[in-house]
Amino acid sequence: MNKGIVILAHNNRKVDYSRMALIAAKFAGKNLGVPVSLITDDETIQWMQKSQIWKEAESIFDQIITTERPDTDNQRILYDGNDHDRVPFLNSNRSVIWHHTPYERSLLIDSDFLICSDNLNNYWDIDEDILISGGFNDIQGDRSGVLDRWVSETGTHLYWATAVMFTKNEKSKIFFQLVDYIRENYKYYADLFRFKSDQYRNDISFSVAKHILDGFEKSQISLPGVFTVQDKDILEKINDDERMIFLIKSSIDTESFYLVSIKDRDVHIMNKQSIIRHYERLMSL
Amino acid sequence: MDERLKNALDFSNYRQTLAAQRRSLNEKMQAKLTYGHNGGIFKIDRSLLTFVWSLCAGHRTADIVLLDQNDNPILIEDLEKFKTEIFDRYFSVTLEYHKEYDKIKKSRSVEKLVDYE
Repeated sequence: MNKGIVILAHNNRKVDYSRMALIAAKFAGKNLGVPVSLITDDETIQWMQKSQIWKEAESIFDQIITTERPDTDNQRILYDGNDHDRVPFLNSNRSVIWHHTPYERSLLIDSDFLICSDNLNNYWDIDEDILISGGFNDIQGDRSGVLDRWVSETGTHLYWATAVMFTKNEKSKIFFQLVDYIRENYKYYADLFRFKSDQYRNDISFSVAKHILDGFEKSQISLPGVFTVQDKDILEKINDDERMIFLIKSSIDTESFYLVSIKDRDVHIMNKQSIIRHYERLMSL
Repeated sequence: MDERLKNALDFSNYRQTLAAQRRSLNEKMQAKLTYGHNGGIFKIDRSLLTFVWSLCAGHRTADIVLLDQNDNPILIEDLEKFKTEIFDRYFSVTLEYHKEYDKIKKSRSVEKLVDYE
């Protein structure tokens, strides 16, 4: 069974997802030793060509696959340390991954998820058609709330679609079709599972789809919890040995930060601008 | 700011970083002790190591079924090879953990704790 990683990236006016996808691909390819493909749209490709990163993209990605750019009125507030901005969020077409992936066993990752270890290689041969990250693991340890673990106060377990591994077969096809159906009927499922419907979240659609397809039981097996550095934290520096140093927003004194470093750990860096600021450095490692 | 309060806050800042570094190191070690084999996923811990060791000592080494961390039955065709792999992994990971933990323990400033070059 051939295997590989897929990343979906659609640029918007505020966030250069193509640069983040390049960084994520470089780290994932190096640490897992499998090919990485990009699924993107024509406008993002034109941007990559204009901004001189197209050659780099062609050399890093196994395949660059084009799909339609999703329409969205979904917006969200992204923090960059103490600053914040309201940005469009083009996240409504995850299900196209099933059709476009060139691999029989795929690991779908978000472009802000940097794979810095080979831990996920343990999961390629697991006898499960769909594996999703089972939880959220904050770098500080005490900043996760109920809605980071459950789709709502009375809802089902929340999986994190930051990393999803699947085998391309009929069962996973049904799964992705169901994710699409839940997205199209988001308000209905929000009423049913008691989550807020004002902003579309893939994590919730994936969790509800998994809950339904698992026979309304909690799945026994999942990918490791997503180790996360939140968007109010800042990627400060990267050492030559790839150790990443972060400024972490204190949960006690919300005006101050403290330092934490990590190495050899897969990390979800929610502060997208702080990844992009270090583009040259991260690509040079 | 009063010098006494400043000193206390500086120390508190150091302790926050220390606690986060320790927790992250422990989680990294736990992740590295996860071992995929023949479609199953195992947590390499003392219980698994001891059980596998005792099976091998009793010459039960072929076609052994072990329950993985999700209690799924996984067939291990060659238990001696499995034993070597999990022991090697356990020793290399815990040795690295010890080295990094020791370094953290001896670091007396935030800069040293996080390896700020």
